Amino acid sequence: MKFFIDELPVLFPYPRVYPEQYAYMCDLKRTLDAGGHCVLEMPSGTGKTVSLLSLIVAYQQFHPENRKLIYCSRTMSEIEKALCELKALMKYRTQELGYEEPFRGLGLTSRKNLCLHPSVKREKSGSIVDARCRSLTAGFVKEKKERGEDVDLCVYHDNLDLLEPHNLIPPGVWTFDGLLKYGEQHKQCPYFTARRMMSYCNVIIYSYHYLLDPKIAERVSKELSKDCIVVFDEAHNIDNVCIESLSIDLTEDSLRKATRGVNNLDRKITEMKSTDAKKLQDEYNKLVEGLRAADEARDENAFMANPALPDDLLKEAVPGNIRRAEHFVAFLKRFIEYLKTRMKVLHVISETPPSFLSHLRDLTFIERKPLRFCAERLTSLVRTLELTNIEDYQPLQEVATFATLVATYETGFLLILEPFESATATVPNPRMHFTCLDAAIAIKPVFERFSSVIVTSGTMSPLDMYPRMLNFTTVVQESFTMTLTRKSFLPMIVDRGSDQNQITSQFEHRNDGPVIRNFGTLLIEFCKLTPDGVVVFFPSYLYMESIISMWQGMGVLDTVWKYKLILVETPDAQETSLALETFRTACNNGRGAVLLCVARGKVSEGIDFDHHYGRTVINMGVPYQYTESRILKARLEFLRETYRIKEADFLSFDAMRHAAQCLGRVIRGKDDYGIMVLADKRFGKKITQLPKWIQSALDTKNTKLSVDQAVSHAKAFLKEMSVPWSRSEQEGHSSWSLQDLERHQAKKKAEAISGTENPLTRALEGRALPERMEVDDEFDGQGMDEVMAGLDD
Amino acid sequence: MSKVARAPGASKRLAEDGGASPLSNSLHHLSLQQSPSKASKATPAFADSSSDICPVCKSSRYLNPNMKFLVNPECYHKMCESCVDRIFSHGPAPCPIAGCKRTLRKAKFRSQTFEDLKVEREVDIRRRVAKLFDKQESDFETLIDYNNYLEQVEEINWNLILGIDVEKTEQRLRKWEEARKADLNPNAIRRVTEPDTSQLSDTSHVILKKGATQRKVLMSSSASNLNPLGGGDDAERDTGFVFRGLKKRKAPEPEKPFDPFDGWSIEPQYYSFQGDYNHNWFTAMKNDPQHYAGGYDMREYYSRALCDAFGGMGIFIEDEMTARDTQGFDDAGLGTQSVATVAAGGRDVDMADIF
Repeated sequence: MKFFIDELPVLFPYPRVYPEQYAYMCDLKRTLDAGGHCVLEMPSGTGKTVSLLSLIVAYQQFHPENRKLIYCSRTMSEIEKALCELKALMKYRTQELGYEEPFRGLGLTSRKNLCLHPSVKREKSGSIVDARCRSLTAGFVKEKKERGEDVDLCVYHDNLDLLEPHNLIPPGVWTFDGLLKYGEQHKQCPYFTARRMMSYCNVIIYSYHYLLDPKIAERVSKELSKDCIVVFDEAHNIDNVCIESLSIDLTEDSLRKATRGVNNLDRKITEMKSTDAKKLQDEYNKLVEGLRAADEARDENAFMANPALPDDLLKEAVPGNIRRAEHFVAFLKRFIEYLKTRMKVLHVISETPPSFLSHLRDLTFIERKPLRFCAERLTSLVRTLELTNIEDYQPLQEVATFATLVATYETGFLLILEPFESATATVPNPRMHFTCLDAAIAIKPVFERFSSVIVTSGTMSPLDMYPRMLNFTTVVQESFTMTLTRKSFLPMIVDRGSDQNQITSQFEHRNDGPVIRNFGTLLIEFCKLTPDGVVVFFPSYLYMESIISMWQGMGVLDTVWKYKLILVETPDAQETSLALETFRTACNNGRGAVLLCVARGKVSEGIDFDHHYGRTVINMGVPYQYTESRILKARLEFLRETYRIKEADFLSFDAMRHAAQCLGRVIRGKDDYGIMVLADKRFGKKITQLPKWIQSALDTKNTKLSVDQAVSHAKAFLKEMSVPWSRSEQEGHSSWSLQDLERHQAKKKAEAISGTENPLTRALEGRALPERMEVDDEFDGQGMDEVMAGLDD
Repeated sequence: MSKVARAPGASKRLAEDGGASPLSNSLHHLSLQQSPSKASKATPAFADSSSDICPVCKSSRYLNPNMKFLVNPECYHKMCESCVDRIFSHGPAPCPIAGCKRTLRKAKFRSQTFEDLKVEREVDIRRRVAKLFDKQESDFETLIDYNNYLEQVEEINWNLILGIDVEKTEQRLRKWEEARKADLNPNAIRRVTEPDTSQLSDTSHVILKKGATQRKVLMSSSASNLNPLGGGDDAERDTGFVFRGLKKRKAPEPEKPFDPFDGWSIEPQYYSFQGDYNHNWFTAMKNDPQHYAGGYDMREYYSRALCDAFGGMGIFIEDEMTARDTQGFDDAGLGTQSVATVAAGGRDVDMADIF
């Protein structure tokens, strides 16, 4: 259907549109017009991606400046899904408009997924594929070939050079499958096609890391212009991604490997000195000139990039004492030796980068400045030495990255050395965590560089937490609910068992017999009453294991077994995918199954349990993080001191976003239905931290239930759901045709003119009530008048 | 025996604290250290694999669970604590490792910081060099000069570590150190060579009497002292190393006496004070012992009277009014002057208020 938002014609590839989709698009347009950042929350299964794409593509085509869209998602499957949506959208647009728009949409993923080289693509590990690919495609390999040496090259990559550099692939939207097929037909490398065409695309779809991880971002995304529209979809975990991209862990093993790497480098240098001293001298001369002349070759072949962010990048010459290759190698050796001595300590140390640097200086006479250039210098050296087996230098690269980071950032980072794996371990297994505490550091260049950044997800409540944590300002912050004709999901909070004993995963009570028995009866009851699939989330693997073994003793599992197949998630990815496969089969053939998994595991993040795969989801306990972790403690302290976010607030926010993420797994669309059970008495106080769309469906009477009450509610709900229902019922209310939409627009216009903006219209559009501002004054939020009145009495 | 033992001790001290002034022999010894240290390079590899066996007494950690290894920065040969006690308790003794003839003392033994003894030794050398070459980026005119300096220093380290041209490097190092000392504290050298100036003035008469020879000596010594002070003929001096682009060291300017009023004087501008004024009105007072016996000085009175009389002079209210008005527009009104005018204006208003 085609409709107008203000002056903008939007082509929407479906005949009907949901009200919240329409409102979402309006808000997006508002953001783009205003040129700022926004945070939008819309429940999963309401067609977020398609509304996003159709609006932004319409916007791109309508406005002459043709701003590029960078769409970042989290997983490979989500990227592929978005590409398919985009393809469908463009097909629809061509149909409607009657001509094909000049348009290119490409996705980018790792070499592993896009490789066509017959032997390289068979490698299992991504880093090995990367390394082997580099050894076949690097610039110097080609030079060697031209000199007549016998070296292997990748045919697919070389064929690219025969094509016009700006037209490696015809216009259109290319999914990964399509790209691979095209590459196979034309014998050209899909990965490098995508990489090189990046600057000629209208839409780029790739993973967060290409934009957030400074090591990658500098190479992949540096050419993107300022007016790009950046979208982070599924962004509820974006702060963790930011932090991970700047954090490094070092172990004794990796240091040992790094030493080996350094020694190899040393040998290579000696070799090269005897055979090809000129090359080293050339490199040296370039470094003397400075201005990163050595880095003009910095392109897709680069071994590693500087982990420091663009604005911190140094543009000056490499310091003199690491200019010569042999000096630099000795420098690295010394640094690694120093790290080894630090590892020998038998007590926990946490220190800031400045303190680390001063100690380093006292002991090894390594100054801060050369340390900052470490990553840069190593890249240059590796390129000069023309190393091909780069994967061997991975640990060394890590050490160099660490060196650069520790010397670049003074605040927002912490160095934590943990000599023992757990509190009870006696054999030391030291691990040095260099953790980034401030999520804003990694994302700052993104917000600064691009004028419009859209952060969106199904679960982002409370909305103001993200701007605070990531340190940006928004022009639009909105939360949408799902407009529904029938109540298709039933959230409930169960806080006690049938025996009136509490249900909680609080640390002090979690192993009490009654608590575990109540969890057990809850599981049994819901397995009895739910058709098909049940998904259960536990706060941690540890707790899940202990509770399962206790249930085994109590005979809970035997009872459950009568009704459902029991499957368990494990940390091992392959075992888990097998369990998932079995779970699906069991649901499909009517046996039904229950999947026991962990709230922070793989299942909770990426797997959808739509329709009969998930009719009930149970959250057993609040999925708090492990609060004894030193890294978490440091981060909490940092958040409190820097952004004034209280520890408890952050912990409960984090727990609730994971809980909401788990709950969202079962409702994947408007015709889906399911029961959501939050089994912990502590959930009662955290209702406001749930996403608006769950909150609005949560009746007050359902917030304090015992197990038997919950069971009767659930039974009633399922009965209601079993009433025949057709999609036509939602027409006009929760799904609009073009006429409905136009009617709504006219109404809204009239209201805008008369100035009677009424909350009903907002609700019609599926907008959640605006968050009540919590007045945090000394009178405890009471109005001034009341306080004064109280004084009179 | 004692002589042999002494020299390595001194060189050790040098390695630790950057070296004292009587370096001559000890540095030479350090340079000789190269040949055994090459042997020590082989040891870490061997020691790594069986790090828990003492190479001297062959006892292992299995037999002695709290065995500790120590090294002496003289030759960096590792041995266990009990061996050190056994061999070196009775004074200096030669290193028990075959092929190493160095004489070691117990006091210098220490536990190693780094696993790799090569790095341990490197760091010791670096410690010494870093003490001597501590120039900052701000000491150089351009960044390139600084980077070249860094590289040169690295070369020195490198030479010492790998044992290339050690003797020459040591010699240059020594020179550099002396030059540096002279640079940093010219007075210290002056104090040593030149007699105190106060003494000089006191004794000059004596010297004159004693004859020309002594005077000549004095002259020449002061002439030689001019060099480090003036710094004009730096090029002539051999400092061992030459770094380009080094900013000239400027001696700090002598501090001026402290002036609390920032140049503002209380000396009268419009009159000169004469000390005594003859007026018949004063004479009686002046001659009255009742006044001067108590220590009263008539000059106090004069100055005060004059000050009162001229107190309003030089204050032009209109000028100040315009100055005050314009001050809002230009901030050029600087320092005490403008402050004074504002204060004066303010006082006027206050006065009016009081009455």
